[in-house]
Amino acid sequence: MNKRTALLAALLAGAVLLCAGVIWRQHSGPGGGVLARVYQRGELMEEIRLDRVQEPYSFPLTGEGGAENVVEVEPGRIRIVSATCPDQVCVRQGWISDSTVPVVCLPNQVIVEIVGGEGFADTAAG
Amino acid sequence: MKRAKGLRLAALALGGAVLLSGCVTRTEPSVSTQIFVMDTIMSLELWEGGSQEQLNQAVEQLYQWEDLWSATDEDSEIWAADHSGGEWVTLSGDTVDLLSQALDLCRLTGGALDLTAYSAVKAWGFTTGEYRVPGEEELAALADGIDHTQVELDRDACRVRLPAGMELDLGAVAKGYAGARLAEQLREQGVTSALLNLGGNVQTVGGKPDGSPWSVGVQDPASEQVDNLLAIQVVDQAVVTSGSYQRYFQQDGQTYWHILDPETAAPARTGLASVTVVGPDGTVCDGLATALFVLGEEAGIELWRAHPELGVQVIWVREDGSVALTEGLEENYQVNPQHRGLDMTVVEA
Repeated sequence: MNKRTALLAALLAGAVLLCAGVIWRQHSGPGGGVLARVYQRGELMEEIRLDRVQEPYSFPLTGEGGAENVVEVEPGRIRIVSATCPDQVCVRQGWISDSTVPVVCLPNQVIVEIVGGEGFADTAAG
Repeated sequence: MKRAKGLRLAALALGGAVLLSGCVTRTEPSVSTQIFVMDTIMSLELWEGGSQEQLNQAVEQLYQWEDLWSATDEDSEIWAADHSGGEWVTLSGDTVDLLSQALDLCRLTGGALDLTAYSAVKAWGFTTGEYRVPGEEELAALADGIDHTQVELDRDACRVRLPAGMELDLGAVAKGYAGARLAEQLREQGVTSALLNLGGNVQTVGGKPDGSPWSVGVQDPASEQVDNLLAIQVVDQAVVTSGSYQRYFQQDGQTYWHILDPETAAPARTGLASVTVVGPDGTVCDGLATALFVLGEEAGIELWRAHPELGVQVIWVREDGSVALTEGLEENYQVNPQHRGLDMTVVEA
Protein backbone atom coordinates (compact mmCIF):
# COMPACT_ATOMS: atom_id res chain seq x y z
CA MET A 1 0.00 0.00 0.00
CA ASN A 2 1.61 3.25 -1.07
CA LYS A 3 1.16 6.56 0.67
CA ARG A 4 -1.54 7.80 -1.66
CA THR A 5 -3.68 4.73 -1.23
CA ALA A 6 -3.25 4.95 2.51
CA LEU A 7 -4.36 8.61 2.48
CA LEU A 8 -7.38 7.73 0.37
CA ALA A 9 -8.34 4.87 2.67
CA ALA A 10 -7.94 7.06 5.73
CA LEU A 11 -10.10 9.81 4.21
CA LEU A 12 -12.80 7.32 3.24
CA ALA A 13 -12.79 5.73 6.66
CA GLY A 14 -13.04 9.17 8.23
CA ALA A 15 -15.97 10.12 6.00
CA VAL A 16 -17.82 6.90 6.80
CA LEU A 17 -17.33 7.39 10.53
CA LEU A 18 -18.45 11.03 10.35
CA CYS A 19 -21.61 10.11 8.47
CA ALA A 20 -22.37 7.22 10.76
CA GLY A 21 -22.10 9.66 13.63
CA VAL A 22 -24.45 12.18 12.04
CA ILE A 23 -26.98 9.50 11.10
CA TRP A 24 -26.87 8.10 14.61
CA ARG A 25 -27.55 11.58 15.98
CA GLN A 26 -30.45 12.10 13.61
CA HIS A 27 -32.10 8.79 14.36
CA SER A 28 -31.41 8.21 17.97
CA GLY A 29 -30.30 11.54 19.38
CA PRO A 30 -32.25 14.78 19.70
CA GLY A 31 -33.01 14.56 15.98
CA GLY A 32 -35.09 11.46 16.59
CA GLY A 33 -37.77 13.51 18.25
CA VAL A 34 -37.43 11.56 21.42
CA LEU A 35 -35.52 13.93 23.67
CA ALA A 36 -37.67 15.84 26.13
CA ARG A 37 -36.31 18.74 28.16
CA VAL A 38 -37.93 20.10 31.30
CA TYR A 39 -37.10 23.64 32.36
CA GLN A 40 -38.06 25.48 35.53
CA ARG A 41 -37.41 29.23 35.71
CA GLY A 42 -34.98 28.96 32.81
CA GLU A 43 -32.98 26.14 34.36
CA LEU A 44 -32.76 22.73 32.69
CA MET A 45 -34.07 20.30 35.30
CA GLU A 46 -34.45 17.03 33.39
CA GLU A 47 -33.50 15.57 30.04
CA ILE A 48 -35.43 12.45 29.14
CA ARG A 49 -35.00 10.02 26.25
CA LEU A 50 -38.67 9.26 25.63
CA ASP A 51 -37.90 6.23 23.43
CA ARG A 52 -36.04 4.59 26.28
CA VAL A 53 -38.87 4.96 28.77
CA GLN A 54 -40.03 1.46 29.72
CA GLU A 55 -42.56 2.10 32.45
CA PRO A 56 -44.65 5.24 32.92
CA TYR A 57 -43.46 7.40 35.80
CA SER A 58 -43.92 10.89 37.16
CA PHE A 59 -41.93 13.40 39.17
CA PRO A 60 -42.73 16.70 40.89
CA LEU A 61 -41.11 20.09 40.27
CA THR A 62 -41.38 22.24 43.35
CA GLY A 63 -41.06 26.00 43.14
CA GLU A 64 -41.42 29.07 45.28
CA GLY A 65 -44.37 29.53 47.64
CA GLY A 66 -45.56 25.92 47.44
CA ALA A 67 -45.79 25.89 43.64
CA GLU A 68 -45.70 22.39 42.21
CA ASN A 69 -46.02 20.83 38.76
CA VAL A 70 -46.10 17.07 38.35
CA VAL A 71 -44.62 15.82 35.07
CA GLU A 72 -45.75 12.45 33.75
CA VAL A 73 -43.64 10.45 31.31
CA GLU A 74 -44.71 7.54 29.09
CA PRO A 75 -42.93 5.87 26.21
CA GLY A 76 -42.82 8.51 23.45
CA ARG A 77 -44.80 11.20 25.23
CA ILE A 78 -44.81 13.60 28.16
CA ARG A 79 -47.23 15.99 29.92
CA ILE A 80 -47.88 18.03 33.02
CA VAL A 81 -50.46 15.96 34.85
CA SER A 82 -51.17 18.34 37.72
CA ALA A 83 -50.20 21.83 38.84
CA THR A 84 -50.87 24.22 41.67
CA CYS A 85 -51.34 27.15 39.25
CA PRO A 86 -54.82 28.73 39.21
CA ASP A 87 -55.45 28.58 35.45
CA GLN A 88 -54.53 24.91 34.76
CA VAL A 89 -53.66 25.76 31.14
CA CYS A 90 -50.57 23.50 31.24
CA VAL A 91 -52.57 20.52 32.51
CA ARG A 92 -55.24 21.01 29.85
CA GLN A 93 -52.64 21.08 27.11
CA GLY A 94 -52.22 17.37 27.71
CA TRP A 95 -49.62 15.11 26.12
CA ILE A 96 -47.03 16.17 23.58
CA SER A 97 -45.16 13.69 21.45
CA ASP A 98 -43.37 15.93 18.94
CA SER A 99 -41.60 19.26 18.77
CA THR A 100 -44.47 21.35 17.35
CA VAL A 101 -45.32 23.14 20.62
CA PRO A 102 -44.06 22.89 24.21
CA VAL A 103 -46.24 22.45 27.31
CA VAL A 104 -45.96 25.63 29.35
CA CYS A 105 -46.99 26.62 32.87
CA LEU A 106 -46.78 30.40 32.95
CA PRO A 107 -47.40 30.99 36.67
CA ASN A 108 -44.70 28.50 37.71
CA GLN A 109 -42.47 29.15 34.67
CA VAL A 110 -42.19 25.51 33.66
CA ILE A 111 -41.50 24.44 30.08
CA VAL A 112 -41.68 20.85 28.83
CA GLU A 113 -40.43 20.59 25.26
CA ILE A 114 -39.42 17.94 22.77
CA VAL A 115 -36.38 18.73 20.69
CA GLY A 116 -35.89 18.01 17.00
CA GLY A 117 -37.46 15.10 15.21
CA GLU A 118 -40.25 14.91 12.71
CA GLY A 119 -43.26 16.96 13.69
CA PHE A 120 -46.45 17.40 11.67
CA ALA A 121 -45.71 21.15 11.46
CA ASP A 122 -42.88 23.58 12.25
CA THR A 123 -44.94 25.29 14.93
CA ALA A 124 -48.60 25.81 15.81
CA ALA A 125 -50.84 28.82 16.28
CA GLY A 126 -53.21 29.10 19.22
CA MET B 1 0.94 15.71 -11.14
CA LYS B 2 0.24 12.23 -9.92
CA ARG B 3 -0.13 13.45 -6.39
CA ALA B 4 -2.69 16.08 -7.37
CA LYS B 5 -4.70 13.45 -9.18
CA GLY B 6 -4.64 11.23 -6.13
CA LEU B 7 -5.93 14.00 -3.89
CA ARG B 8 -8.66 14.86 -6.34
CA LEU B 9 -9.67 11.23 -6.36
CA ALA B 10 -9.73 11.24 -2.58
CA ALA B 11 -11.89 14.38 -2.52
CA LEU B 12 -14.26 12.80 -5.03
CA ALA B 13 -14.46 9.64 -2.95
CA LEU B 14 -15.19 11.67 0.14
CA GLY B 15 -17.98 13.54 -1.65
CA GLY B 16 -19.39 10.25 -2.92
CA ALA B 17 -19.36 8.71 0.51
CA VAL B 18 -21.16 11.72 1.90
CA LEU B 19 -23.86 11.51 -0.75
CA LEU B 20 -24.29 7.76 -0.54
CA SER B 21 -24.75 7.70 3.19
CA GLY B 22 -27.37 10.47 3.07
CA CYS B 23 -25.11 12.46 5.28
CA VAL B 24 -26.84 15.84 5.44
CA THR B 25 -26.45 17.77 8.60
CA ARG B 26 -29.81 18.66 10.07
CA THR B 27 -30.29 22.40 10.03
CA GLU B 28 -30.88 24.20 13.29
CA PRO B 29 -31.73 27.86 13.84
CA SER B 30 -28.53 29.85 13.94
CA VAL B 31 -29.77 31.54 17.11
CA SER B 32 -32.91 31.01 19.19
CA THR B 33 -34.40 31.62 22.61
CA GLN B 34 -37.55 31.17 24.69
CA ILE B 35 -38.63 33.88 27.11
CA PHE B 36 -41.51 34.55 29.47
CA VAL B 37 -42.80 38.00 28.58
CA MET B 38 -46.15 39.79 28.09
CA ASP B 39 -47.96 37.16 30.18
CA THR B 40 -46.99 34.36 27.84
CA ILE B 41 -44.07 32.39 26.46
CA MET B 42 -42.37 33.52 23.29
CA SER B 43 -40.05 31.51 21.12
CA LEU B 44 -37.76 33.34 18.68
CA GLU B 45 -35.82 31.38 16.08
CA LEU B 46 -33.56 33.15 13.59
CA TRP B 47 -32.71 30.60 10.92
CA GLU B 48 -30.74 32.53 8.35
CA GLY B 49 -28.94 35.86 8.35
CA GLY B 50 -29.50 36.40 12.07
CA SER B 51 -27.01 37.02 14.86
CA GLN B 52 -27.07 36.70 18.63
CA GLU B 53 -26.99 40.50 18.82
CA GLN B 54 -30.15 40.83 16.71
CA LEU B 55 -31.84 38.21 18.86
CA ASN B 56 -30.86 40.08 22.03
CA GLN B 57 -32.22 43.30 20.53
CA ALA B 58 -35.55 41.61 19.77
CA VAL B 59 -35.77 40.25 23.32
CA GLU B 60 -34.94 43.66 24.79
CA GLN B 61 -37.63 45.22 22.59
CA LEU B 62 -40.24 42.73 23.86
CA TYR B 63 -39.42 43.56 27.49
CA GLN B 64 -39.74 47.27 26.72
CA TRP B 65 -43.16 46.75 25.13
CA GLU B 66 -44.24 44.69 28.12
CA ASP B 67 -43.29 47.60 30.38
CA LEU B 68 -45.36 49.99 28.26
CA TRP B 69 -48.45 47.86 27.72
CA SER B 70 -48.97 45.73 30.81
CA ALA B 71 -52.45 46.33 32.22
CA THR B 72 -51.30 45.18 35.67
CA ASP B 73 -47.96 47.01 36.02
CA GLU B 74 -48.53 50.32 37.79
CA ASP B 75 -45.67 51.91 35.86
CA SER B 76 -47.07 51.10 32.39
CA GLU B 77 -48.64 53.60 30.02
CA ILE B 78 -51.78 51.49 29.81
CA TRP B 79 -52.10 51.46 33.61
CA ALA B 80 -51.73 55.24 33.57
CA ALA B 81 -54.45 55.59 30.93
CA ASP B 82 -56.76 53.22 32.83
CA HIS B 83 -56.33 55.08 36.13
CA SER B 84 -56.19 58.71 35.03
CA GLY B 85 -59.71 59.53 36.19
CA GLY B 86 -60.67 60.91 32.80
CA GLU B 87 -57.51 62.98 32.24
CA TRP B 88 -55.20 63.01 29.21
CA VAL B 89 -52.21 60.67 29.48
CA THR B 90 -49.04 61.04 27.40
CA LEU B 91 -47.97 57.98 25.41
CA SER B 92 -44.79 56.87 23.66
CA GLY B 93 -44.72 56.59 19.87
CA ASP B 94 -45.04 52.81 19.80
CA THR B 95 -48.10 52.87 22.06
CA VAL B 96 -49.78 55.53 19.89
CA ASP B 97 -48.99 53.45 16.79
CA LEU B 98 -50.42 50.24 18.28
CA LEU B 99 -53.45 51.93 19.83
CA SER B 100 -54.23 53.70 16.59
CA GLN B 101 -54.13 50.48 14.56
CA ALA B 102 -56.12 48.66 17.22
CA LEU B 103 -58.86 51.31 17.32
CA ASP B 104 -59.06 51.11 13.51
CA LEU B 105 -59.73 47.39 13.89
CA CYS B 106 -62.39 48.06 16.55
CA ARG B 107 -64.18 50.32 14.05
CA LEU B 108 -63.68 47.97 11.09
CA THR B 109 -65.22 45.08 13.04
CA GLY B 110 -68.15 47.18 14.26
CA GLY B 111 -67.00 46.76 17.85
CA ALA B 112 -66.74 42.95 17.75
CA LEU B 113 -63.20 43.72 18.82
CA ASP B 114 -63.31 46.20 21.67
CA LEU B 115 -60.22 47.14 23.67
CA THR B 116 -62.30 48.59 26.48
CA ALA B 117 -63.65 45.24 27.72
CA TYR B 118 -60.92 44.92 30.37
CA SER B 119 -63.21 45.56 33.35
CA ALA B 120 -65.40 42.68 32.18
CA VAL B 121 -62.42 40.38 31.67
CA LYS B 122 -61.37 41.17 35.24
CA ALA B 123 -64.89 40.61 36.60
CA TRP B 124 -64.86 37.05 35.22
CA GLY B 125 -61.51 36.42 36.91
CA PHE B 126 -59.60 35.77 33.70
CA THR B 127 -56.77 38.05 34.79
CA THR B 128 -56.16 36.26 38.08
CA GLY B 129 -57.50 32.73 37.63
CA GLU B 130 -60.00 33.37 40.46
CA TYR B 131 -62.96 32.66 38.23
CA ARG B 132 -66.55 33.64 38.91
CA VAL B 133 -69.76 34.07 36.94
CA PRO B 134 -71.10 37.64 37.29
CA GLY B 135 -74.86 38.01 37.71
CA GLU B 136 -77.16 39.44 35.03
CA GLU B 137 -77.27 42.96 36.43
CA GLU B 138 -73.54 43.07 36.81
CA LEU B 139 -73.08 41.86 33.24
CA ALA B 140 -75.46 44.49 31.91
CA ALA B 141 -73.51 47.21 33.71
CA LEU B 142 -70.21 45.81 32.46
CA ALA B 143 -71.51 45.67 28.88
CA ASP B 144 -72.64 49.29 29.17
CA GLY B 145 -69.11 50.24 30.12
CA ILE B 146 -67.57 48.71 26.99
CA ASP B 147 -67.30 51.29 24.22
CA HIS B 148 -64.17 51.85 22.15
CA THR B 149 -65.67 54.99 20.61
CA GLN B 150 -65.16 56.71 23.97
CA VAL B 151 -61.39 56.38 23.65
CA GLU B 152 -59.92 59.68 22.49
CA LEU B 153 -56.56 59.22 20.84
CA ASP B 154 -54.70 62.42 19.96
CA ARG B 155 -52.04 61.16 17.58
CA ASP B 156 -50.34 64.52 17.04
CA ALA B 157 -49.92 65.23 20.73
CA CYS B 158 -49.23 61.55 21.53
CA ARG B 159 -51.85 61.28 24.24
CA VAL B 160 -55.01 59.37 25.11
CA ARG B 161 -58.05 59.99 27.27
CA LEU B 162 -60.60 57.50 28.59
CA PRO B 163 -63.76 58.25 30.53
CA ALA B 164 -63.14 57.80 34.25
CA GLY B 165 -63.65 54.16 35.23
CA MET B 166 -63.15 52.76 31.74
CA GLU B 167 -60.22 50.40 31.33
CA LEU B 168 -58.58 49.35 28.10
CA ASP B 169 -56.24 46.48 27.48
CA LEU B 170 -54.09 45.71 24.45
CA GLY B 171 -54.01 41.95 25.05
CA ALA B 172 -55.99 41.21 21.88
CA VAL B 173 -53.50 42.97 19.59
CA ALA B 174 -50.15 43.46 21.36
CA LYS B 175 -48.59 40.10 20.48
CA GLY B 176 -49.62 40.42 16.84
CA TYR B 177 -48.20 43.94 16.69
CA ALA B 178 -44.98 42.80 18.38
CA GLY B 179 -44.60 40.04 15.80
CA ALA B 180 -45.21 42.41 12.90
CA ARG B 181 -42.73 44.98 14.21
CA LEU B 182 -40.03 42.40 15.02
CA ALA B 183 -40.43 40.79 11.59
CA GLU B 184 -40.04 44.17 9.92
CA GLN B 185 -36.95 44.93 12.01
CA LEU B 186 -35.37 41.54 11.29
CA ARG B 187 -35.98 41.86 7.55
CA GLU B 188 -34.30 45.27 7.57
CA GLN B 189 -31.34 43.73 9.36
CA GLY B 190 -30.95 41.14 6.61
CA VAL B 191 -32.60 38.17 8.29
CA THR B 192 -34.12 36.06 5.49
CA SER B 193 -35.57 33.22 7.52
CA ALA B 194 -37.10 33.39 11.00
CA LEU B 195 -39.91 31.74 12.94
CA LEU B 196 -41.45 33.64 15.87
CA ASN B 197 -44.11 32.10 18.07
CA LEU B 198 -45.29 34.81 20.45
CA GLY B 199 -47.58 32.92 22.78
CA GLY B 200 -49.41 31.21 19.94
CA ASN B 201 -49.22 34.21 17.59
CA VAL B 202 -47.04 32.91 14.79
CA GLN B 203 -45.04 35.35 12.69
CA THR B 204 -42.77 34.16 9.91
CA VAL B 205 -39.95 35.97 8.13
CA GLY B 206 -39.36 34.53 4.67
CA GLY B 207 -39.66 30.77 4.32
CA LYS B 208 -37.42 28.03 5.64
CA PRO B 209 -33.71 28.23 4.81
CA ASP B 210 -34.21 25.78 1.93
CA GLY B 211 -36.80 28.11 0.40
CA SER B 212 -39.86 26.00 1.22
CA PRO B 213 -42.71 27.60 3.19
CA TRP B 214 -43.15 27.28 6.94
CA SER B 215 -45.77 24.80 8.04
CA VAL B 216 -47.98 26.18 10.82
CA GLY B 217 -50.38 23.91 12.66
CA VAL B 218 -53.97 24.80 13.51
CA GLN B 219 -54.85 23.02 16.72
CA ASP B 220 -57.77 20.71 17.29
CA PRO B 221 -59.84 22.60 19.88
CA ALA B 222 -61.56 19.41 21.03
CA SER B 223 -58.44 17.37 21.62
CA GLU B 224 -57.31 16.60 25.13
CA GLN B 225 -53.73 16.66 23.96
CA VAL B 226 -51.75 18.95 21.71
CA ASP B 227 -52.93 17.90 18.29
CA ASN B 228 -53.14 19.72 14.97
CA LEU B 229 -56.17 19.38 12.70
CA LEU B 230 -54.29 20.75 9.75
CA ALA B 231 -51.28 22.80 8.82
CA ILE B 232 -51.02 25.73 6.46
CA GLN B 233 -47.99 26.70 4.42
CA VAL B 234 -46.92 30.31 4.76
CA VAL B 235 -44.09 32.65 3.75
CA ASP B 236 -43.65 36.08 5.36
CA GLN B 237 -47.03 35.90 7.07
CA ALA B 238 -48.64 35.88 10.48
CA VAL B 239 -50.97 33.14 11.71
CA VAL B 240 -53.12 33.84 14.77
CA THR B 241 -55.80 31.71 16.44
CA SER B 242 -58.49 32.76 18.91
CA GLY B 243 -60.16 29.79 20.53
CA SER B 244 -62.46 28.92 23.37
CA TYR B 245 -60.09 26.10 24.37
CA GLN B 246 -57.22 28.44 25.25
CA ARG B 247 -58.43 29.79 28.57
CA TYR B 248 -61.65 28.73 30.23
CA PHE B 249 -63.26 27.44 33.40
CA GLN B 250 -66.24 25.26 34.19
CA GLN B 251 -68.97 25.86 36.70
CA ASP B 252 -72.30 24.05 37.18
CA GLY B 253 -71.81 22.12 33.96
CA GLN B 254 -71.23 25.23 31.85
CA THR B 255 -67.96 26.20 30.21
CA TYR B 256 -66.96 29.86 30.25
CA TRP B 257 -64.09 31.10 28.08
CA HIS B 258 -62.05 34.28 27.95
CA ILE B 259 -63.27 35.68 24.62
CA LEU B 260 -66.11 37.98 25.64
CA ASP B 261 -68.80 39.46 23.42
CA PRO B 262 -68.60 43.24 24.00
CA GLU B 263 -72.39 43.45 23.65
CA THR B 264 -73.11 41.11 26.56
CA ALA B 265 -69.80 41.12 28.52
CA ALA B 266 -70.21 37.31 28.57
CA PRO B 267 -68.30 34.61 26.63
CA ALA B 268 -69.10 34.82 22.92
CA ARG B 269 -71.17 31.73 21.98
CA THR B 270 -71.58 31.39 18.26
CA GLY B 271 -70.97 27.69 17.66
CA LEU B 272 -67.28 28.25 16.93
CA ALA B 273 -64.42 26.57 18.76
CA SER B 274 -61.66 28.60 17.11
CA VAL B 275 -60.89 31.10 14.38
CA THR B 276 -57.48 31.35 12.72
CA VAL B 277 -56.48 34.35 10.62
CA VAL B 278 -53.56 34.27 8.18
CA GLY B 279 -52.19 37.43 6.60
CA PRO B 280 -49.34 39.82 5.99
CA ASP B 281 -50.00 42.04 9.04
CA GLY B 282 -49.73 40.47 12.49
CA THR B 283 -51.74 43.22 14.20
CA VAL B 284 -54.66 42.76 11.80
CA CYS B 285 -54.52 38.96 12.16
CA ASP B 286 -54.51 39.18 15.95
CA GLY B 287 -57.37 41.66 16.27
CA LEU B 288 -59.45 39.98 13.57
CA ALA B 289 -59.10 36.52 15.12
CA THR B 290 -60.82 37.80 18.25
CA ALA B 291 -63.43 39.77 16.31
CA LEU B 292 -64.30 36.89 13.98
CA PHE B 293 -64.70 34.55 16.95
CA VAL B 294 -67.14 37.02 18.51
CA LEU B 295 -69.05 37.60 15.24
CA GLY B 296 -69.59 33.92 14.47
CA GLU B 297 -69.19 32.25 11.12
CA GLU B 298 -71.90 33.92 9.04
CA ALA B 299 -71.18 37.52 10.02
CA GLY B 300 -67.47 36.75 9.89
CA ILE B 301 -67.68 35.56 6.29
CA GLU B 302 -69.52 38.77 5.43
CA LEU B 303 -66.80 40.86 7.04
CA TRP B 304 -64.11 38.86 5.25
CA ARG B 305 -65.83 39.33 1.88
CA ALA B 306 -66.26 43.05 2.50
CA HIS B 307 -62.56 43.63 3.21
CA PRO B 308 -60.36 42.05 0.55
CA GLU B 309 -57.88 44.91 1.08
CA LEU B 310 -56.79 43.28 4.35
CA GLY B 311 -55.33 40.37 2.39
CA VAL B 312 -56.28 37.83 5.05
CA GLN B 313 -57.48 34.24 4.86
CA VAL B 314 -59.53 32.59 7.59
CA ILE B 315 -60.10 29.13 9.07
CA TRP B 316 -63.22 28.56 11.17
CA VAL B 317 -63.32 25.44 13.37
CA ARG B 318 -66.86 24.77 14.58
CA GLU B 319 -67.78 23.19 17.88
CA ASP B 320 -68.79 20.01 16.03
CA GLY B 321 -65.22 19.70 14.70
CA SER B 322 -65.98 20.63 11.09
CA VAL B 323 -63.94 23.28 9.33
CA ALA B 324 -64.53 26.11 6.86
CA LEU B 325 -61.64 27.88 5.18
CA THR B 326 -61.40 30.72 2.70
CA GLU B 327 -60.46 29.98 -0.87
CA GLY B 328 -57.01 31.56 -0.70
CA LEU B 329 -55.89 28.70 1.52
CA GLU B 330 -57.22 25.93 -0.70
CA GLU B 331 -53.82 25.20 -2.21
CA ASN B 332 -51.87 25.79 0.98
CA TYR B 333 -53.07 23.37 3.60
CA GLN B 334 -52.53 19.78 4.63
CA VAL B 335 -54.92 17.81 6.80
CA ASN B 336 -53.19 15.90 9.58
CA PRO B 337 -53.35 12.20 8.58
CA GLN B 338 -54.78 11.50 12.03
CA HIS B 339 -57.80 13.59 11.04
CA ARG B 340 -58.42 12.02 7.65
CA GLY B 341 -62.02 12.57 6.69
CA LEU B 342 -62.12 16.03 8.26
CA ASP B 343 -65.36 17.76 7.22
CA MET B 344 -64.13 20.77 5.29
CA THR B 345 -65.86 23.43 3.22
CA VAL B 346 -64.28 26.19 1.17
CA VAL B 347 -65.62 29.74 1.48
CA GLU B 348 -65.51 31.67 -1.77
CA ALA B 349 -64.81 35.38 -2.00
